[in-house]
Amino acid sequence: MLKSKTFVKKTRSGGVMKIVREHYLRDDIWCGSEACTECKQESTELLKDACIESNLCSFPHYLVPDTNVVLHQIDVLEDPVIRNVIILQTVLQEVRHRSAPVYKRLKDIIHEKEKHFYTFTNEHHRDTFIEREPGETANDRNDRAIRVAAKWYSQHLKKFEADTDGLCVVLLTNDQGNKQKAEESGLLVYRFEEYIKSLIANPELVDRLALSNNDKNEITSSKVLFPEHLPLSRIQSGIKSGSFLQGTFRASRDNYLEATVFVQGEGEDSTEVLIQGLQNLNRAVHQDVVAVQLLPRNQWVAPSSVVLQDEGAAKDDAVEEGEEEKALKISAAEAARKPTGKVVGVIKRNWRPFCGMLNISQIKESTRHLFTPADRRIPRIRIETRQASTLAGQRIMVAIDGWPKSSRYPNGHFVRSLGGAGEKDTEQEVLLLEHDVPHQAFSQAVLSFLPKMPWAITPEDMAKREDLRHLTVCSVDPPGCTDIDDALHCRELENGNLEVGVHIADVTHFIRPGNALDKEAANRGTTVYLCGKRIDMVPELLSSNLCSLRSNVERLAFSCIWEMNQKAEILKTRFTKSVINSKASLTYAEAQMRIDDVTKNDETTKSLRGLNKLAKILKRGRIEKGALTLSSLEVRFHIDSETHDPIDLQTKELMETNSMVEEFMLLANISVAQKIYDEFPECAMLRKHPAPPPSNYDILLKAAKSKDVEIHTDSAKALADSLDVAKVDGFPYFNTLLRILATRCMMQAVYFCSGMDSDFHHYGLASPIYTHFTSPIRRSADIIVHRLLAVAIGADSTYPDLMDKHKQSALSNNLNYRHKMSQYGQTQAVGSQQQPQLQT
Amino acid sequence: MATVKVSEAEKVYILHGIRDDLRVDGRGCEDYRHVEIETDVVSNTDGSAKVTLGYTAVLVGIKADIGKPKPMVPNEGYLEFFVDCSANATPEFEGRGGEELGTELSNTLYKVFNNKHSVDLKSLCISAGEHCWVLYVDVLLLQCDGNLYDAISIAIKAALFNTKIPRVHISADEEGGKEIELSDDPYDCMRLDVENVPCIVTLCKVGHRHVVDVTLQEKACSVASLIISVTHKGTITCTRKVGGGSLDPESIFEMTEAGKRVGKALHAPLMALLQQEESLGKKRQKVGFLG
Repeated sequence: MLKSKTFVKKTRSGGVMKIVREHYLRDDIWCGSEACTECKQESTELLKDACIESNLCSFPHYLVPDTNVVLHQIDVLEDPVIRNVIILQTVLQEVRHRSAPVYKRLKDIIHEKEKHFYTFTNEHHRDTFIEREPGETANDRNDRAIRVAAKWYSQHLKKFEADTDGLCVVLLTNDQGNKQKAEESGLLVYRFEEYIKSLIANPELVDRLALSNNDKNEITSSKVLFPEHLPLSRIQSGIKSGSFLQGTFRASRDNYLEATVFVQGEGEDSTEVLIQGLQNLNRAVHQDVVAVQLLPRNQWVAPSSVVLQDEGAAKDDAVEEGEEEKALKISAAEAARKPTGKVVGVIKRNWRPFCGMLNISQIKESTRHLFTPADRRIPRIRIETRQASTLAGQRIMVAIDGWPKSSRYPNGHFVRSLGGAGEKDTEQEVLLLEHDVPHQAFSQAVLSFLPKMPWAITPEDMAKREDLRHLTVCSVDPPGCTDIDDALHCRELENGNLEVGVHIADVTHFIRPGNALDKEAANRGTTVYLCGKRIDMVPELLSSNLCSLRSNVERLAFSCIWEMNQKAEILKTRFTKSVINSKASLTYAEAQMRIDDVTKNDETTKSLRGLNKLAKILKRGRIEKGALTLSSLEVRFHIDSETHDPIDLQTKELMETNSMVEEFMLLANISVAQKIYDEFPECAMLRKHPAPPPSNYDILLKAAKSKDVEIHTDSAKALADSLDVAKVDGFPYFNTLLRILATRCMMQAVYFCSGMDSDFHHYGLASPIYTHFTSPIRRSADIIVHRLLAVAIGADSTYPDLMDKHKQSALSNNLNYRHKMSQYGQTQAVGSQQQPQLQT
Repeated sequence: MATVKVSEAEKVYILHGIRDDLRVDGRGCEDYRHVEIETDVVSNTDGSAKVTLGYTAVLVGIKADIGKPKPMVPNEGYLEFFVDCSANATPEFEGRGGEELGTELSNTLYKVFNNKHSVDLKSLCISAGEHCWVLYVDVLLLQCDGNLYDAISIAIKAALFNTKIPRVHISADEEGGKEIELSDDPYDCMRLDVENVPCIVTLCKVGHRHVVDVTLQEKACSVASLIISVTHKGTITCTRKVGGGSLDPESIFEMTEAGKRVGKALHAPLMALLQQEESLGKKRQKVGFLG
């Protein structure tokens, strides 16, 4: 049977288009129930004895949720207890239209066999399709379609009543009107809360209920705390006319009453608007896209230097924030004032589930508690739970449902528990979730692209590659390193010059462009090292075995080979795909010992000594050019090999060999960057480090001035030199402190596509061009660089995405984001591990 | 124009018949052939109608789009006509063969329909001087068996009756910028008043008499014809003489009078029929092109 769906649409040019879609109805859509003997279905999803202990319905039943129930209560639906649910096509389509993340979660549930969710394509079923009637809104039509489908099910199932102990369907809706109409047509219908509360065996589900509008009214007092948000249409016209600014809201880490809104201007000029005070922050949460209105110039303020934490017991909604706000108002100098504004509306919420801890209410028997997120930029969230005593001391996840204008805190609901606070696994999970690090196990699709074991180098590979197995190659890495991606060699040539080679694991031989493995690696972007745990970018078979340049095995490599004279001047550079056989995998300390031990005179040691000598010359040259050495002290852990608990920590010692390896990696990166840029000026993936604007140095200059030390920041060289002489007697740590401060003044180094930018300079390394080539196992940018270089030397074929500068640019943005998040994560992991150590 | 070859003897036969008010197919001089009308036949137009008149068949589709009003009349919308002479109708139309006829027909249609006396053009205005509805009237000739003008005019009137223009809402922001929003309810639409839309009556001078609704054979015997557009009240809104022969003033007067009479008699049953069809609503059985 054929029906048509008609709707009118406005085209972009302002025209009107009438669109007609043909819609076919079928009589072969089955109900999916095990109890049904009428439908000719091959397999069934819905069980015959669909029992869930509820004191509302004591008989077996199937659930039919409406769209809003799915959208808001997906957390509950995901629970294993909820089974035998009929998801109507109408609901599925509406959910897809309204929220992509919820849609994805719903699809995942449907695919899960254990959940027994069945999708009923009611829109194409002959008996359940309905046409929109005159005067009916699209929503009303969908509600009616849901009711008609539910009605159809209840009549359909009635036929088999005799052998199913009264199996029926239960419609779940929170819409009063819909509920009433359903009752009138004789359907069994409950509000979602009502139904969940009736589940005898699972009281904990109640906590996960998102608060619906009706409930919010009960919770909050009528006092209005915040100004109303403007409607979207007003905001848009305001932004167009320039009276409002649109930007990303960034809450301050140190002061919960302060935030900045980053307004992206045209081209380079973007501004930051300061927001102060609870009223002006107006319920915006970190990372939301908001509209701000600038305050008159005489109300502008300076950022406060006070640290304020929203602590203690839940503040009554009516409590005056006066005192704390006053603390802010201690006015700073006129000059320090910044553009200040207030949030007038939220354009897009960017809420995600937050990790944190529960603050248990002091009132006993209370079910309302405050939740403190791990991220200090997120406000505390009020949740309702009856299992507070169980959740205390656990890391939990909470989602925000809304923030009414009469409530001091946003309202949310409990999502899941991550485990006991302080336990290593829990803390790591929190860290990974908070920093958006993809850390699930690799999927089957990804693993299917791995080479089959046992793997060996084929004669074809051998023919295409240069055989460098005879060279005395060795690798130098930190102790315990299993993903060795670089190895070195150095030998004297007959003409007295030196040949130096940097051999990098040839990861692109295994990861071919565009397959699932490549996509996964590009998405992960980088390997993340947490204390004692590594979140790999590529599966372990590659990272720790096939690509790892271990000693005494034949491995594929991408080599960069220079001919240098004794003054470390490069005479010739060449790149080649090769096969190597590393003679030794050394640690930094071992390598150092070999160099220092005058009795040793084997090939490897000689090679190391040659490298070390050249590295020193190279380093001196670099520092003269103004490269910065800001490396502050790093902390290392001694990990118990049995329990993987850190047992001791020490500051990382820097040995000559550390900088030796570093020096040659820098050299390789620079050589490769030059080569790929020469070959592909439009689409080379490079890394730049912009010079910081002078104002960034303010804190450094201020700190130095306090001890009457002068710092010059005109150029990288001047900065490096003045840092070297900045010493105060009797305060040996002062210099290190200054260097740490200087690091904070720096800009972030970023990947970019050469076709999209003109400034390539790397400020920190004082190099005009730079890229990442030397760690393809743990950085995805290096994989792209490897591919570019392989194309440049004719060792591999190219593919369209590689040459598309917009795609390259999008990829670099993802890599920058992942890189930044993983750095934050790693720093925090070190921090959280240090804490217990320092306590003992 | 599509023509047929008629022998001398046939011509005499036709002429003599008409002289005695008896035409080859048995009709009187002022009788139309059998007319069939069906509206809403093309779902992706805003209004459509198919009309068959004897073996003449035309299809009219109307699409409403938003355009800019003409500067002379800022508060009125307008109509655009296009006549497509399909080669299905007659092999003569193949390639660009039908172009000349198409242009001639559409020029006449502009004269007859695109004025405020025929269609309430003011109701097509959305915001004066900025936006108005433009009705694109596309005529497709499916089969030619004479009297195209009359068949097309009936089809246009029926299609205009059937036209449903989506209702729009104008929202103005603070700076006076206007944004047009379409209603999301497909049933929420505007209908046109077609009461004053005229029908065309073509009268052909055959011998000393004139006949309406000529077949191709009769046409071959005629030297000149008069196209008259008549409203339901019998008012003549436009006349035009076509054909190579001449007409004396007296017969022009006679023909106009006859045209008025026939036109008036045509409107009443047409409107009754359209209203009847409309009242059937969803129960109406669609015939379409294969019925």
